Amino acid sequence: MKGFLRRLSVRLAAGLVMTAVVATFTFFLIHALPGNPGDAAYEQFVMQGMAPEQARAKVAVIYGFTSHESLFQQYTSYMGQLLRGNLGVSISYSGVPVSHVIASAAPWTILPVLTGLLVSFLVGVTAGVVAAVRRSSRWGGLLSLSGSLMAGVPSFVLALLLAFLFHTLWGLLPFGDTSDVTLTPGLNAAYIGSVATHAVLPVATYALLSYGGWLLSMKSSVVSALGDDFILAAELRGITPATRMRYIGRNAVLPLFTVLALSFGFMFGGSVIIEHIFDYPGLGSLLLQSIGSRDYPLMGGAFLLITVAIVLANILAETLYSVIDPRVRR
Amino acid sequence: MTETLQTPAATEDRSAEVSVRDLTVVYRTDRGELPAVSRAGIELRAGEITGLVGESGSGKSTLALSLLNAVPAPGRIASGSVEVAGVGDVTKLEGKRLRRVRGGALGYVFQASQNSLNPLKTVGKQLLDLGRSHEVEDLQGLVRRARELAERMGLDADRVLDSYQHELSGGMRQRVGIVLALVLNARVLILDEPTTALDMISQAAVLDIVRAVHRENNLATLIVTHDMGVVSEVADRLAVMYGGRIVEHGPALEVLQRPSHPYTRALIGATARIVGDTTRARALPGRPPDLTTLATTGCVFRDRCPLASAVCEEEDPALVEWTPGRYRACHADPTGDRP
Repeated sequence: MKGFLRRLSVRLAAGLVMTAVVATFTFFLIHALPGNPGDAAYEQFVMQGMAPEQARAKVAVIYGFTSHESLFQQYTSYMGQLLRGNLGVSISYSGVPVSHVIASAAPWTILPVLTGLLVSFLVGVTAGVVAAVRRSSRWGGLLSLSGSLMAGVPSFVLALLLAFLFHTLWGLLPFGDTSDVTLTPGLNAAYIGSVATHAVLPVATYALLSYGGWLLSMKSSVVSALGDDFILAAELRGITPATRMRYIGRNAVLPLFTVLALSFGFMFGGSVIIEHIFDYPGLGSLLLQSIGSRDYPLMGGAFLLITVAIVLANILAETLYSVIDPRVRR
Repeated sequence: MTETLQTPAATEDRSAEVSVRDLTVVYRTDRGELPAVSRAGIELRAGEITGLVGESGSGKSTLALSLLNAVPAPGRIASGSVEVAGVGDVTKLEGKRLRRVRGGALGYVFQASQNSLNPLKTVGKQLLDLGRSHEVEDLQGLVRRARELAERMGLDADRVLDSYQHELSGGMRQRVGIVLALVLNARVLILDEPTTALDMISQAAVLDIVRAVHRENNLATLIVTHDMGVVSEVADRLAVMYGGRIVEHGPALEVLQRPSHPYTRALIGATARIVGDTTRARALPGRPPDLTTLATTGCVFRDRCPLASAVCEEEDPALVEWTPGRYRACHADPTGDRP
């Protein structure tokens, strides 16, 4: 237990360093993007038909100041604020702290991504076991085929297809926003039901996107475990088929846990496209919008959240791994 | 040390625990079903250690697995029977009854280099899985029996039962394999390459242990090996396999001292020596047959045989008792010229 806590704290410290490094990179990368918030707003006003002079004046009024600090000074003050947990103030949502903006969008990404991932993991892994055990039968073949097909479909194609079928064509599911805007948010059945139905399409997209990967990797993992010496040995000792299946399952699923943690991070990246397509106001939409308006603090905050999510997911995976695999534990 | 372990029972009860008759095992290939074991017959008797030797691909492991009716697909037992005392013909069993015979009546121990334990469970938990699979009601008694066996083999029982596979050395894993094979009081112990991949000291220790548990429990033991040294050290009887056939069979000492089949002679002649004339080891020319190169008519050994004659092209020699207690499958004169 002592060793466990020590390793956990080492991992957390390493995660902290990693986060700081990524924060540094994103800071400079964001500032290296062509354009700046003032220009972005200016162009927007001009396009809306405002005279250039007028637009410039309005930008000056909105932002009130232009930063004259050097990039390095901005960086040190940014990191200093970050240490105190201050992500700065959003530019496009004038005056609202970045942490508030992110906090209101985060649940709409974290919950669907997590649900989609867990559903696809459970379904994909189970289907993978069946596909491996019944690999010479027709059902096994069909399952494997479904895995290969789903693994090959690009996210935007799948999202558009689902939106077309279930919303446009059959009208079964709502589309856009997180719930019916006429309902008052709260713990009432109507609101919760609306949230759930609105989440179905994004969640199904996340789940279907990773289902194929889980199925195929679990299938190959189980097939190799089926040929393991200890499985034959267990059979020759007269161990029941059910117990042998448990041996196989537990050994085969182990390597998938690392992938699970990694894909949690990838899903966050994928949420940009999917939320955009479904017009779902989560972190992905927020990130896209903040890039468009060159909202540096918001971009930095969103990137940082994705980084922290990936780092935490990895720490969780490693910790979980050391609990379930005795070879890592001792 | 092993001398004191000998019990009177060891020499008294010599009933056959396993009788293999006319066993043919075939593998399905692109060229049809090819025999890996052809019309093999062997008896394992209580109190006797039988050594089964042969080169890789001679069919010895397939024969050992057929004793448990566990020939892996695409192989199958095509004909013959495996009578196990108190059980009946194993080749006719299936489902739960077959499963209960495996581990219950017949204990199978894997090659030491193989990982025969689930890496994610302690030995003790796997012991309990074994007990539950065989519907043992007194699990505490089972653990007690396992402890006794483990201590008897020089293992620290508490430590081993609480260990994972990766925490055990090769020799310890091998002994744990023997514990798991015998803990349900199997009367027959089958060891597949028990010393392969062990260093010389562990080899000697494992053989000592095999000999000791064999005597103490009056087992019928089969040791499958390619190592003539192992056989000469522990076996009472010796069966030599070539190309899926048992080509010679008899008391171990006699077969080793006066081999009768030309293949047995070549095998003994090819054994490297540590003392004496080390240049005397002679490699047998040619290659052992595999399923696809195996002769379909005549003697399977004739291409490499120094005594081959016309009749060997035509007729597959049957295994016959050419002198009391000694069997061989060869057309040449058993008392004939020595290499």
